[in-house]
Amino acid sequence: MLPRHARAIARLLERLPGVGERTAARYVLHLLGEPPALSEALGQALVELHAHVKPCVRCGNLAEVEDESLPPTCEVCADPRRDPALLCVVARVQDLSAIERSGAMRGRYFVLGKLVSPLEGIGPDDLPLEQLRERIREDGVREIIVATPPSVDGEATALLLARELGSLTEPSVKVSRIASGVPHGSDLEYADQVTLGRAIAGRR
Amino acid sequence: MLAVRSLLVRGFRNLAAQELELHPRFNVLYGENGQGKTNTIEALYLATTSRSFRTSALQDCLSHGEEASRVKVAVDDERDVGASSREQIVDLKASAQGSARRVLLSGKRPKSMATFALATPIVLFEPASLTLTQGGASERRRLLDRVGAHLLASSGGAEALLRDATRYRRALLHRKRALAQGAGARVLEPFERIMAEHGISMMQARQRATDALVGEALVAFSSIAQTHLELSIAYAPRAPTDFDGFVAALAQRRDDDARRGTATIGPHLDDLRVFLGGRPARQVASQGQHRAIVLALKGAELASIARARHVPPILLLDDVSSELDPKRSQALFQFLSAQVGQVVLTTTRPDLIPIDRDRALFEVDQGVVRARR
Repeated sequence: MLPRHARAIARLLERLPGVGERTAARYVLHLLGEPPALSEALGQALVELHAHVKPCVRCGNLAEVEDESLPPTCEVCADPRRDPALLCVVARVQDLSAIERSGAMRGRYFVLGKLVSPLEGIGPDDLPLEQLRERIREDGVREIIVATPPSVDGEATALLLARELGSLTEPSVKVSRIASGVPHGSDLEYADQVTLGRAIAGRR
Repeated sequence: MLAVRSLLVRGFRNLAAQELELHPRFNVLYGENGQGKTNTIEALYLATTSRSFRTSALQDCLSHGEEASRVKVAVDDERDVGASSREQIVDLKASAQGSARRVLLSGKRPKSMATFALATPIVLFEPASLTLTQGGASERRRLLDRVGAHLLASSGGAEALLRDATRYRRALLHRKRALAQGAGARVLEPFERIMAEHGISMMQARQRATDALVGEALVAFSSIAQTHLELSIAYAPRAPTDFDGFVAALAQRRDDDARRGTATIGPHLDDLRVFLGGRPARQVASQGQHRAIVLALKGAELASIARARHVPPILLLDDVSSELDPKRSQALFQFLSAQVGQVVLTTTRPDLIPIDRDRALFEVDQGVVRARR
């Protein structure tokens, strides 16, 4: 059993994803075994985290706050080589990072933050659709790639976006959904039927 | 041949921790009521399908005061050429949410629950099965879905079918909640399109399952029933089977569905309709005729799964003869003797079971199952 203060920190660590009771205790014991400098550096960095990293005002991606007087803008939005007419809509920052790692996206992003889910009481009005429309107008977006997850909630949100944005006329935008298909480097015979079926249906 | 060679139980219902060796053909479990006969059948069913036919709350299966249970079967399967017997394990553990389930197939976690549940084809016949043609449609939908999953098992399509059912259900619940919240077409339409996409796949699978069942059921019925009345069986989908039609029908019923609090069309309301002499069996069939139809449908389930999986399924029969009159009891045993696969049955009256070859006898007493001669 950990002493009271150590236990309190372990309880906080347990609230992180993928950290259970035992891992949390391991982390606390590790910190106590290291020189105090590590704990102090970690603590100080955590204290300042939210002041230094804020959602990008344009897309919702994480942005480093360089200048307090300016609205936070992320690296992707600040990059002048990005095609402003191409916009990828994702549900979460994690999805944005995954697509960025692929290096295949030459446009910019828009993070919804949530998906339509009546079961959780989330309707279209809880989505930042007005900001998205504004972004489309301001940047002259011509093409939108909807990259919401393939879950029911993600598909429903994609259908909703296609309906709402596809009918925009000024400017008119082309809305597409990311394809789902066979993972690279794997044999077709091992692909599950759902994936293979979608890969065939979405062939090009 | 497909047969459970041994069953191990630990911490399960009233059963003592033990391991049973089963006969590859007939196994007769006898004993007074409340001794553990049905629990043994349930353990076999759980170990091969990961589900119980008595409860969806699996913590009910834990022995009183136990935190964990294990059921394990070793299955001999002629389709596994050269391999030793296959092991299937289902572990249950009490948890804050009720219970946690862990399954292992040949020592590994299966790709999906469908993979696990379809590995060893099994058919259950229990007293509740006798109301198949008289009770609600959900049992008949389950029959179609079991057969439909086996029809697709060898092509790997059972996972897709399970996914269709799961996603259909989630979209249905979303739409139901959205209707209750007074949402408009803007929210409803996306979920209706998802319902239609998956609902159509479900209906196609059920139509194929019906096609596989009907021929077999009619042949079986004519040999069981002493009637000149003609049996007919038809799948009754409860939604248009084309995408645009399904979507349009849902859109049209929004007001109605909002009032009733649920979708009034869709495969969640499907039925398998049974007619005798051209009239609904529910209205015209006698008790005896209902039993004969059920027996015919169960026989058809066995036969169509056998054909789809290239092996006769294992048949579990729980206390069925006690519910039948002598004439139909005889029909049941004719039916049994026509089975070429493994059979595990329970009875309170072993003297009434006219099987004396290729069988093992077990006495079930206070949770202990003992082999008897």
